[in-house]
Amino acid sequence: MAAALALSLLALAGSPLGAQEREAALPDLAVRLAAMTAITGYEQRLVDSLLALLPGATRDRAGNAVVVLGAGARRRLVACPVSEPGFVVGHVRDDGWLTLRRAPGRVGPLVERQIEGQRVTLFGRRGAVPGVVAVRSIHLTRGRGAAGDGSFTVDSAYVDIGATSRADVAAAGVGVLTPVALAKRPQRYGPDLLAAPVAARRTACAALVLAARRAAAEQGMVPREESVVVAFVVEQDLSGRGLGTVANARGPFAETIVLDGGAGTPGGLVRGPDSLAVRWPRLGTVTRWSLGARYAGSAVETTALGGADTLATALARWIGEGR
Amino acid sequence: MTTARAWLAGGWMCGALLAAPALAGQEAARLAAVEEVLSPLVESYGVSGMEAPVRATVARLLPAWARAQTDTAGNLWLTMGRGEPTVVFVAHLDEIGFQVRAVRDDGTLDAEALGGLFPSLWEGQPALVHTGGPDVPGVFAPRDSASSAAAPAGVALVRVDVGGADRAATQAMGIRVGQTITSPKRYVRLLGTRATGRSFDDRVGSAALVLAARRLDPARLRHTVIFLWSTREEIGLEGARAAAAALGLRPARVHAIDTFVSADSPLERRNFAVAPLGLGPVARALDNSSVTPPAYVDSLAALARTRRIPLQVESTNGGNDGSVFAEWGVPDVPIGWPLRYSHSPAEVVDLRDVAALADLVAAVAAGW
Repeated sequence: MAAALALSLLALAGSPLGAQEREAALPDLAVRLAAMTAITGYEQRLVDSLLALLPGATRDRAGNAVVVLGAGARRRLVACPVSEPGFVVGHVRDDGWLTLRRAPGRVGPLVERQIEGQRVTLFGRRGAVPGVVAVRSIHLTRGRGAAGDGSFTVDSAYVDIGATSRADVAAAGVGVLTPVALAKRPQRYGPDLLAAPVAARRTACAALVLAARRAAAEQGMVPREESVVVAFVVEQDLSGRGLGTVANARGPFAETIVLDGGAGTPGGLVRGPDSLAVRWPRLGTVTRWSLGARYAGSAVETTALGGADTLATALARWIGEGR
Repeated sequence: MTTARAWLAGGWMCGALLAAPALAGQEAARLAAVEEVLSPLVESYGVSGMEAPVRATVARLLPAWARAQTDTAGNLWLTMGRGEPTVVFVAHLDEIGFQVRAVRDDGTLDAEALGGLFPSLWEGQPALVHTGGPDVPGVFAPRDSASSAAAPAGVALVRVDVGGADRAATQAMGIRVGQTITSPKRYVRLLGTRATGRSFDDRVGSAALVLAARRLDPARLRHTVIFLWSTREEIGLEGARAAAAALGLRPARVHAIDTFVSADSPLERRNFAVAPLGLGPVARALDNSSVTPPAYVDSLAALARTRRIPLQVESTNGGNDGSVFAEWGVPDVPIGWPLRYSHSPAEVVDLRDVAALADLVAAVAAGW
């Protein structure tokens, strides 16, 4: 996926992104990032892709992808979290079935409920392995309400990868702690809508990738007295280790923008103060820019790509002008 | 019943162990042939009443000599051989899904289930509205985020969002009441000989008939064999009912080739329907719609044993298309294959069972 992602934007590398190019690239990049999985604590495959997309970016000690634009003394930071809720294999049974546990951090009820009876992907040591989460056959069910009783939790999940023994599972490179997520199938629909798990967050990150690429390509875009740190940060929904590391290793910052997605009008951009500065004063003044989503927190979280383009433009302006 | 199952299962296992190195390539080729037929069938869409795309796929996959015909109920018929007795094999084309019941003022759709399903498995998943033209993508709205009204009693309603801002915008996409809705689906190979997808019920049965047709030489059949791909099974065996009425007293036997809903899962109670995946097709000797005469079960088991085709004998829940032939006095001898998680988006089969099912259909058609 990383290679494909990089190749898709190869034509854009090394040259300024014009408005037309940006409009063409953003939907594709948003879909591609939404198709990737980065469960809290296991984000490095997505980080690899981001490093491939961002000339000059490096992986820091926390596993964040970071690129610094400009060389001035006054520092500003814009960060986009890459992590998402998910699961890991908790146990491998002798008969080849797998049980799950939640990855640490917030795992919303919709994320949990919407893996029942669905295809999932296990990110094993030898690559991605498809599986399914078992569900009772409706024909054999007695007493279960036709509308679903909502009783499914990950604690009652059994994952079937086609294995019939523990040895089969091991041979596939799957074992305890293998990350597991709903098989991603981003859906474009309506005039410009994108549905996927954490679609708004990933779309916001896509907007930041394009804004950073534009700034990197246009020499002198960042004011001479300033530098802008662009960071794609890990474990935001657990300890904030990624953002905290950037604050402590790269700060202090005069101001910080933290991108995210959240409930709201699809594609609408909500800007507001954030309390993160209380925890990490080195972030300076913190503002949260949140890309609105319908069905937030579900497997079909829906945002509007038109809003993402607006966000990319706003980010490029902020990077270039300092506000 | 238990003895026959144990013997046959043992025979399967012994055969596999004794000839494993030599069989590896042969089995791979057999399973590839199954996938070449099963995959396009699984990836065709055909909710009950709207089976045309699946019917077209079946017709495309049939051997060149086949002259299949569609009746007024939408069933696809392939008649082979001459003379009596007439033996009918029936697999259904349709799959569970939803139907547009209303377009709301806000542009979203009320969708009603067609067939038995848990709506909770669809909520919060991508959707496709089948308009007869290009499919229109959307999403099944997750209940917790949608302000849907309570469903009328006995009707499973879900909301589908296609991104239309209002009723006019949605209708401008070509969406109308009565069209069907599913979710995008893919055939995916799992480890070993397993595969997952949606609508294995009854694309596996449909594939088994196609594979059997490819193996049969109609000139060598000593009696009439009818392969029937039926419509609207999931909403009341309607296509098969029309076919049964058309055939009347003529058939000597009918074989529904349909899912055996298996309890081979940690979630199921194992008091019946315990037909493990990978141990072969299943004589579906008793379900909620039919009981196979015991002599027929024994005879089928004997045939399978003679041909060295694995066969399990079990009972399960559900109905089958062959049962509507009962009022014409036609014995129903349904044959299935074990399926996990039936009517869910992630059904699982063992491809060895599908290959053996096709073998058994061909053997029964030619020699029983």
